Amino acid sequence: MRSAGLAIAWEFRHRHRWGLIAIAGYLIVLASVKLLILGARQPIHLDTPASFGFVVVVPLTATFTYFLAVFSFGLAGDLAARQSIYPARMFTLPVTTAALAGWPMLYGSAAMTALWLATRLVALWPSGVHVPLIWPALLAAALVAWTQALTWMPYPLPGLRVIVTVLWLAVIDTVVLLALQYRAPEAVMLAILAPQVPLAFLVARAAVARARRGDVPDWRGAFGRLGPVASVLPSRRRHFRSAERAQAWFEWRRHGWTLPALVGILLPFELALLFASGNSPAFVFVILLGVLLTPPFMAVFVAPAVGKSNPYVRDSYGVTPFIATRPMTGAALIAAKLKATIRSTLAAWLLVLVAIPLALHLSGTGPMVIDRVRRFTAVVGAPHAIVIGLLGLAGFMASTWKRLVQSLYIGLTGRRRLVKAGVFLTLAFLVALGPIAQWVTDHPAVQAALWNGFPWILGVLICFKMCAAAWVATRLYRGRVLSDRTLVIGAAWWCVTVLALYAVLAWLFFTPFFPRYLLGLVAILAVPLARLSAAPLALARSRHR
Amino acid sequence: MSESVVSVSDLTRRFGATTALASVNLSMPRGAVYGLVGANGAGKTTLIKHILGLLRAQSGSVRVFGLDPVADPVGVLSRIGYLSEENDLPGWMRVAELTRYSRAFNPGWDDGYAEELLQAFALDPTAKIKNLSRGQKARAGLLIALAYRPELLVLDEPSSGLDPIVRRDILGAVIRTIAHEGRTVLFSSHLLEEVEQVADHVTMIHRGTIALSAPLDEIRESHRVGDRVPSLDEIFVAHVGTLAASGPDA
Repeated sequence: MRSAGLAIAWEFRHRHRWGLIAIAGYLIVLASVKLLILGARQPIHLDTPASFGFVVVVPLTATFTYFLAVFSFGLAGDLAARQSIYPARMFTLPVTTAALAGWPMLYGSAAMTALWLATRLVALWPSGVHVPLIWPALLAAALVAWTQALTWMPYPLPGLRVIVTVLWLAVIDTVVLLALQYRAPEAVMLAILAPQVPLAFLVARAAVARARRGDVPDWRGAFGRLGPVASVLPSRRRHFRSAERAQAWFEWRRHGWTLPALVGILLPFELALLFASGNSPAFVFVILLGVLLTPPFMAVFVAPAVGKSNPYVRDSYGVTPFIATRPMTGAALIAAKLKATIRSTLAAWLLVLVAIPLALHLSGTGPMVIDRVRRFTAVVGAPHAIVIGLLGLAGFMASTWKRLVQSLYIGLTGRRRLVKAGVFLTLAFLVALGPIAQWVTDHPAVQAALWNGFPWILGVLICFKMCAAAWVATRLYRGRVLSDRTLVIGAAWWCVTVLALYAVLAWLFFTPFFPRYLLGLVAILAVPLARLSAAPLALARSRHR
Repeated sequence: MSESVVSVSDLTRRFGATTALASVNLSMPRGAVYGLVGANGAGKTTLIKHILGLLRAQSGSVRVFGLDPVADPVGVLSRIGYLSEENDLPGWMRVAELTRYSRAFNPGWDDGYAEELLQAFALDPTAKIKNLSRGQKARAGLLIALAYRPELLVLDEPSSGLDPIVRRDILGAVIRTIAHEGRTVLFSSHLLEEVEQVADHVTMIHRGTIALSAPLDEIRESHRVGDRVPSLDEIFVAHVGTLAASGPDA
């Protein structure tokens, strides 16, 4: 290497070569499709959400997030720590602090700019839609530069890095959105965004300089005084009555609070919309539906942490020697995880159930909601209304828990690539869901075909599920991972749960539109079996490699 | 001394093209202090992981207290105290929480002994593990490995990179453990002078095979040159044919 800049560039390129190859491959495929299949003069229509989502939003958002993580060294650092996430090994290199901060920032900004230009050129051209060229590229560069500056800064409290960075990026976004709202000319946009990268560089240089001389401020002393106070409380001094209780406590402390905390952060923002609802019943109920969907939705993102050996450290998959050497069976270790997820689900829902009435009362929308509920009760009858309400709530809670545990087996395998592939597929599914739903909505013929083939689709899915369950059960039995008694009890519980759900569905949907067999198929699919029972198998393989 | 606490026969382990252990045979009698020595990558940790059941034998067999550690992890691990070089104690726990948590797994936990060790190691019960120095973390790990007086104490490179005072604590723990009749210690290290101080049986492992395994006195006697008894370091170099053991990173 002839210079420090080239060496740093080589490191970025070499460490992330597969990701960069994937992005280049995508752009080549997209260019080929446009040039060879659609023809040079035939535009990709941007007026449908499906094509826009597939071609532009999905890859741009994914690559943007990836670049943020790569160029801020976020993939290798501990975001929650007080110390800078800038790699400490680089502090001893014989280069100036400005070079340490400047080269990665230059590469990050260049990569973001190139990403925007490539996307615009390949995905938008020649759509005929006016898309600005310069300021979005500057915005992308500014976002990565500020992310670098703020994540490289040492902080006085753990976790403060994430809060400061998210808030500052949100401020930049808000300024840009306001400028767009008021139809600011391109020159104004450039005036707002052009100074961002140099400003971020100054902050980054100061941050790296502090980190380099080991200057990490510490405000924990103020909170640390609470530690001894809390430790004399009776609950913290009492001994655990069993190893199972100790392990359940361990799992709860390790990741139990994540879901309630995330739901607690989102709830005020969602419920604040009630104050701007103008007493519109449709808007109020959409907001409430959004609030009710928040725990199961957030559970999707929390689930990978449940399977990790340490939620605060990247790439800590599988089972650590500390946990693997606990004198407990694999089934007991899994049971502790399941208990913690149940507590986590209940805590998150407790927050929702307390916050909704409070927000309805404070926003003055309570009477309107009560009125609608009364009307509904008058139509279906009080017992039906109560049961439907309780079942709906139970359904949301069960869905939240299911999302927390159904991918547990992936994390417990300890296979880094499998875990990352699982996360990627989940994100891809979530991103693709909207455009696919839009496509189905726009095409009545597709809807008819889907409805006619619905039982077959369910049948095929059930075949997959039962085959997978049989395979897992055989492995569990042959490997003596679970006792015969546990296997039989588990299977019996699954059957009872499916039958109970079927009975409830049959009672609830007492209509010729839904044949009984269809409800049976839905019940079989809804109750977790194969993926949940694969968790002890994955743990056993990870624990005894 | 006749009953074997650990019995390994024809154990072979491969990681891809690399053979980490090749037909290893080992029998550890009860009440012995077993020193497992070898250069980095020789296969010491792989062998210890098999004994703990963290690795499944690809061929051959491993028995600890007569049990298969993979098939019966509860039966084996409840009788073993383990301190690893990695020392992956959960950083978010406080020392008091760590002892409270570890106590739940071991019915034989001795509160008085745990308190004694806490005082001896000068550990602050309210301190978080992640805020402890490396030496203090090793002491905390040693505390939870010793406080229930395990039948077998397994120390995997416990003093690697630690200062002499912590290393003295670790050796003291080994001596305390063997002071209790019938307890066994498996002590893996590349610091041969430490092994020499406490071990009564030494096994040298080199490139996955046992290069030498015998009582320490017997080894010394068989390598005597005139009146001079060579050090374990010299014997190791003579057998393994490398100077790998001479440096602290060897």
